[in-house]
Amino acid sequence: MHEAPLILGGKRVADVTADVCGPIERGPTGRWRRAFAAAVALLLLGVVAVGYQIAVGIGTWGLDRTVGWAFDITNFVFWVGIGHAGTLISAVLLLFRQKWRTSINRSAEAMTIFAVCCAGIFPVIHMGRPWLAFWVFPYPNERGPLWVNFRSPLLWDVFAIGTYFTISLVFWYIGLIPDLATLRDRASGLKRRLYGWFALGFSGSARTWSRYETACTLLAALATPLVVSVHSVVSTDFATSVIPGWHATIFPPYFVIGAVFSGFAMVLTLMLIARRVMRFEAYITPRHVEAMCKVLVFTGSIVGLAYLTELFTAWYSGNPYERFTFLNRAFGPSGWCYWVMVACNVITPQLLWFRRIRTDLRLVFVVTLLINVGMWFERFVIIVTSLERDFLTSAWTSYQPTLVEYATLAGSFGLFFTLFLLFCRWLPMIAMAEVKTVLPSQDHGHELVSDGLTAPAAASAPLPAALPLAGAGR
Amino acid sequence: MTGARHDRPWRSPAEFAGTLPMHDPNEAIRDEWLGFPDALAATSRRSFLKLAGFGALAATAACSRAPIEKAIPLLIRPESIVPGKSYWIATTCGGCSAGCGVLARCRDGRPQKLEGHPGHPIGRGGLCAAGQAELLSLHDRERLATPLESGRATDLATVDAAISGELAALRAGAGRVRVLTATETSPSARAAIARFLAGFKDGRHVEWDADSRSAALAAHAATHGLRALPRLRLDGARSIVAIDDDFLGAGVSPVEHTAGRRAARDPAARERFARHVQLESRMTLTGSRADRRVKLAPWEIGAVASALATSLAARAGVPPPAALPPAAEPVERPLAAELLAEVERLAGELWEARGAAVVLCGCNDLATQKLVNSANELLGAYGTTLDLHSPSRQRNGDDAALARLRQELAEGAVDLLLVAGCDPVADLPDGEALAESLKRVPLLIACSTHVDATTALARFALPLPHALEAWDDIEAVSGVVSFRQPIDPPLLAARSLRRTLASWSGDARDDRELVAASYSALVAERGAAASAATFEQALAAGFVELPRAGAAPVARFDRAAAAVVVAPPPADGRLGLLLHRKVAFPLPRHAQNPWLQELPDPVSKVVWDNYAALAPSTAARLGIATGDVVRIEAEPSGAAVELPALVQPGQHGAVVAVALGYGRRGTERFARAGPKWLEGRPTTGANGRVGVAVESLLADVDGCLRGDIRSVKVTRTGRRHELACTQDHHSLSVPEHLAPEGGATRDAVQSVSLVALVERGGHARVAHAGSSDAGHDGAQESAADAELWSDDHSGEGPRWGMAIDLAACTGCSACVVGCQAENNVPVVGRDEVRRHREMSWIRIDRYWQGDPEAPTAHHQPMMCQQCGHAPCETVCPVLATVHSSDGLNQQVYNRCVGTRYCANNCPYKVRRFNWFDYPRDAAHANLALNPDVTVRSRGVMEKCSFCVQRILAAKLDARADGRPLADGDVQPACQQSCPAQAIVFGDLRDPDSRVSRLAGHGRAYSVLEELNVRPAVRYLADVRDPGEVRDA
Repeated sequence: MHEAPLILGGKRVADVTADVCGPIERGPTGRWRRAFAAAVALLLLGVVAVGYQIAVGIGTWGLDRTVGWAFDITNFVFWVGIGHAGTLISAVLLLFRQKWRTSINRSAEAMTIFAVCCAGIFPVIHMGRPWLAFWVFPYPNERGPLWVNFRSPLLWDVFAIGTYFTISLVFWYIGLIPDLATLRDRASGLKRRLYGWFALGFSGSARTWSRYETACTLLAALATPLVVSVHSVVSTDFATSVIPGWHATIFPPYFVIGAVFSGFAMVLTLMLIARRVMRFEAYITPRHVEAMCKVLVFTGSIVGLAYLTELFTAWYSGNPYERFTFLNRAFGPSGWCYWVMVACNVITPQLLWFRRIRTDLRLVFVVTLLINVGMWFERFVIIVTSLERDFLTSAWTSYQPTLVEYATLAGSFGLFFTLFLLFCRWLPMIAMAEVKTVLPSQDHGHELVSDGLTAPAAASAPLPAALPLAGAGR
Repeated sequence: MTGARHDRPWRSPAEFAGTLPMHDPNEAIRDEWLGFPDALAATSRRSFLKLAGFGALAATAACSRAPIEKAIPLLIRPESIVPGKSYWIATTCGGCSAGCGVLARCRDGRPQKLEGHPGHPIGRGGLCAAGQAELLSLHDRERLATPLESGRATDLATVDAAISGELAALRAGAGRVRVLTATETSPSARAAIARFLAGFKDGRHVEWDADSRSAALAAHAATHGLRALPRLRLDGARSIVAIDDDFLGAGVSPVEHTAGRRAARDPAARERFARHVQLESRMTLTGSRADRRVKLAPWEIGAVASALATSLAARAGVPPPAALPPAAEPVERPLAAELLAEVERLAGELWEARGAAVVLCGCNDLATQKLVNSANELLGAYGTTLDLHSPSRQRNGDDAALARLRQELAEGAVDLLLVAGCDPVADLPDGEALAESLKRVPLLIACSTHVDATTALARFALPLPHALEAWDDIEAVSGVVSFRQPIDPPLLAARSLRRTLASWSGDARDDRELVAASYSALVAERGAAASAATFEQALAAGFVELPRAGAAPVARFDRAAAAVVVAPPPADGRLGLLLHRKVAFPLPRHAQNPWLQELPDPVSKVVWDNYAALAPSTAARLGIATGDVVRIEAEPSGAAVELPALVQPGQHGAVVAVALGYGRRGTERFARAGPKWLEGRPTTGANGRVGVAVESLLADVDGCLRGDIRSVKVTRTGRRHELACTQDHHSLSVPEHLAPEGGATRDAVQSVSLVALVERGGHARVAHAGSSDAGHDGAQESAADAELWSDDHSGEGPRWGMAIDLAACTGCSACVVGCQAENNVPVVGRDEVRRHREMSWIRIDRYWQGDPEAPTAHHQPMMCQQCGHAPCETVCPVLATVHSSDGLNQQVYNRCVGTRYCANNCPYKVRRFNWFDYPRDAAHANLALNPDVTVRSRGVMEKCSFCVQRILAAKLDARADGRPLADGDVQPACQQSCPAQAIVFGDLRDPDSRVSRLAGHGRAYSVLEELNVRPAVRYLADVRDPGEVRDA
């Protein structure tokens, strides 16, 4: 089994409930308020920028006749990538029975949903006429009916992102139900009714636990292929085009692994903040961090390999356009972006081979921030440097972002953190029900007291039975 | 309203009880009708209706007249006019004095597009950029709308009444009357001016051109006894040597000469291919298309002309021309040995082609022009390539006469000055001094289309009509009389100069009568009364050709020597200044036209600004980069201008070249051009105008206005002004440090030397073993195996395609403005172009190749290639860009949501996105929109449609006539206006169509053929004859 406990501090089941529900029940702290104010300010900045852009035109971005996408699609792919970790952690790690995931999966899933929300904004606002965005949906209409173009990767995106968002949301919600029931049981008044409504009458009976488990497993199985499909489809936005630097068969796996990489980095960033701010040091332990760092080294190395493969393919193809694109990427006018990307994505994660660095949470935090920056630049490099200089030299331009674009990027972070902070405030950040299954105390057969109830404590018992029956006493 | 209190509405018991003041419904109304509250209070409904009825009637009756009487539908409709259907009217272009024939497409009485008149002997169906843009000038909201008296609006009757008194006094008195016009090519206007001036004791007509050819005119007066420019007939030429003459660009008659050049260069036969050598200091459009280009400083022109004439004389075995001082005087600055050898070689070439050779020179120096005349005489050019029998009248300006007039003005010796169609205050070097003396002229009358610098000083300013709303007869070339008729009910209260002067001379006839009378007089004078067309027939045709009069003038070279006036070469650390005119602005007033301001300069690709062009080596030496503001200080006068620099490949290292015609009054309005947004910058510069005026640096030498003899100091100011340039990268090669092995140069433009072409039997490329030689078809067949998708379009019907002959194209950019006019392409302003968001559907890529100091230039028109396998079509999520059954790649604006994926995926980058709602100049300018083409809104993609509206119109016409569509029925706007006829459009499926034959031509290739997107546009490789240099 485990060489070290997953949850520290000798927490008992009741402590878990108290620790996780505590922040929600105690109400917002000053720190939370300040963070929330900052996030909302950023969000408002973004709202103003997007409002201005929609009112005046896409011309308020720095795009031109040659570079039709830049910050918009970069942000989109970046956020979709971030949104990858949640499903991977919940679904794939669930299927692989990685118990350490229990401390982080709730937040990771929430992060997924919020990141996909952020991502979803960009394909809409990047349109010249966003008010007609619904035209990308194949719905019966009076125009013939006029259907959408099923050959367009942008349409595939609509389905891929839509599916991913739906499944992620449902999965996250289903996972929340036992914890919502716990909150319901501890709350009173309006809160009790609200949590109760969302808890769908979860009673903690063996039957509800059984249904819950079945649904989770089924959804995990459904979600698993999406981990691969979403970013593969996103990558076809580029891979199916004719533009050198985009037109590459390596893109689907390259994008998927990049997404896992960036998603894990972002989860880690958030977890490192949350464990300090929310006092979850006992739940998110250095061991969790280390496990995730290992994933980062692994995926980061694959990303590095993908970069090398791209270069090799360009060289080996003998295609002068392709070769030029990569020389231009590295040594052209936007070459600094390429080197930022390489430094952050290839070199930085290699530091995590060292245990000393892996266990120094401050260093890990810096590394994850750098990886986030690097992954944003990766998408920027792919999109912008390829477009800036393609086939006809006469059409070459160089892209310069505008203030509106910076504000929109900042606004997307504002939206992300606003949603995340709301989540911290109103929902249990740690999946109590699941964490209780990995409590070290279970192994020692201690009597567990939870919510004034005595729960059966048997390590070998089936999973649901080992859990405190939330709400069973009321 | 006068009922009891209880009948009134109440809102509270207190109000009802009267303890609160009662709300009086009339209170507010009374307040509003301050003047008559009582009357209103007493108004009943009946009397209100009375009042309203009276008021409405009074308001109606107070108008002078109903706006348009013809608003009533025609009871008997004229047969030719069908509402909503276009018709064509023949007229003459007013864009410059070249006098090209124009067909104006009109609808419901309004012109919508100007096109070259295919039968016209001058333009031969072509129309330059400035000519096309005349359509917008007509609808210019800043045109002078009413007469002005000392700046205040008045009407013609008042002006006439005021002036007639003064004229009577002048007729009785000394009567020193001067009429200053630009070259006047209208016989009837000349007659009216003459008749008007005849009424005074001392009346004189002075003609003056901002782009002066005064010296060439004077030289012909001296050598041939005829003050005229010979008409250049390039068609049969075999050797053309042009010395500092941009005859294809900013020349006397660029459309005519471009057509002539095309006819003279048949790549199929070496003996019919005119070799063109250009000697010049700045890179001109003409120089960029020459077979060989030699850099020549302005101060070397005289010596070169003289050496050329001497060498030719030696070959002819006659004594050297007299204009050359026998003993080499300082004039004969020793030429560099290589330049002398070059001249010797040129003389040999010209001599070999004598009888079909011509030397052209644009230098405004009398002695140089005489030398050129003698060279041409020795070459037998007069009578073959140069026609003095039917000479050109396209330039008649006389700098010497102007100098005399300026002297008189300075002395206050002019009683009445009438300035018409020119702006001497803005276009002369000493504008401020001239303005001072003009203020002292007792009666200054200016006839102008705009309030320009001169008009602003005039006591009376009279609006001139636009060429499209005027009657006129134009004899730009002797024997070719073209007509103008108002195809538009005049938009403004304008009166032609002819009519104005006739009425002041007591002639009450209107313009039509005056022109008709002039026509009959002309016909009688040329002895063609019996055979010539009637006036009506002539009007319908647009022009008549009259027989030549008299005998051809005979050359008689006098022996009086005239010194060639050249500037000394600039001293160390100084540069020679060359002021020149722009291709887009043949007349200074074109600076008011946003289409022309936004037309990329054919050589530099810069829009909306003039700049100091410096050779790369010079710029490097001075530490100047493109966009650095430099100070150009003339020595010794000290006059200085500051303007941005541009590093110009191919420029002479000791010369700085600046375009004239910028910084003009009236261009302040372009501050509003383009969208307004957070980071948007104005189109105008620091001076509030477009560009910087450099006219103050012109020089007056021996009665000729020269822009090429000043020596200047060029220094950096440290400031920057970013030039808006449509092209960032100017080479077909990628930057050296990024060049992959074997892929440094991209072959978007292919070029072949004449010798190689002839050797390969008309094929531009060496046929590779195993590859198909059949050109287009071969390429498609071999690619067919590599198809991923089956062709989802039937093989029936046409497949529209285009062939563009790069050997014919000069890069003149007529197609760009033609497309803009036809397809309602908006003007976006300087800042948007700087951000690379120009909207033009067709662009001309200009690439430099080779040594930056002496590069070869390539021009390549680039528009949507209407790919058979269009990458844009597959990626649009909403099917906004789709393929038509006749092979067109269509853009559906209504369906477009603006993802821009199509533009990203376009290998040719020809798609244009509407980043903003572009402000159109004014509602007025909307009259110039083509109603057949949608005006695109913000957020949608657009691109070249192959003028699909014309294809549909031609199809409908053919169906109505019950005939199949014939080859040539459809002409897109770019093809129609191309002076070089470089563009051919048609059906690629029809093996006999012109375009099919060209597409399978040995020189044909597709750009980026390797992508297998199957473009429908085929390019024909450029052909040059670099001389001894043979390519592999």
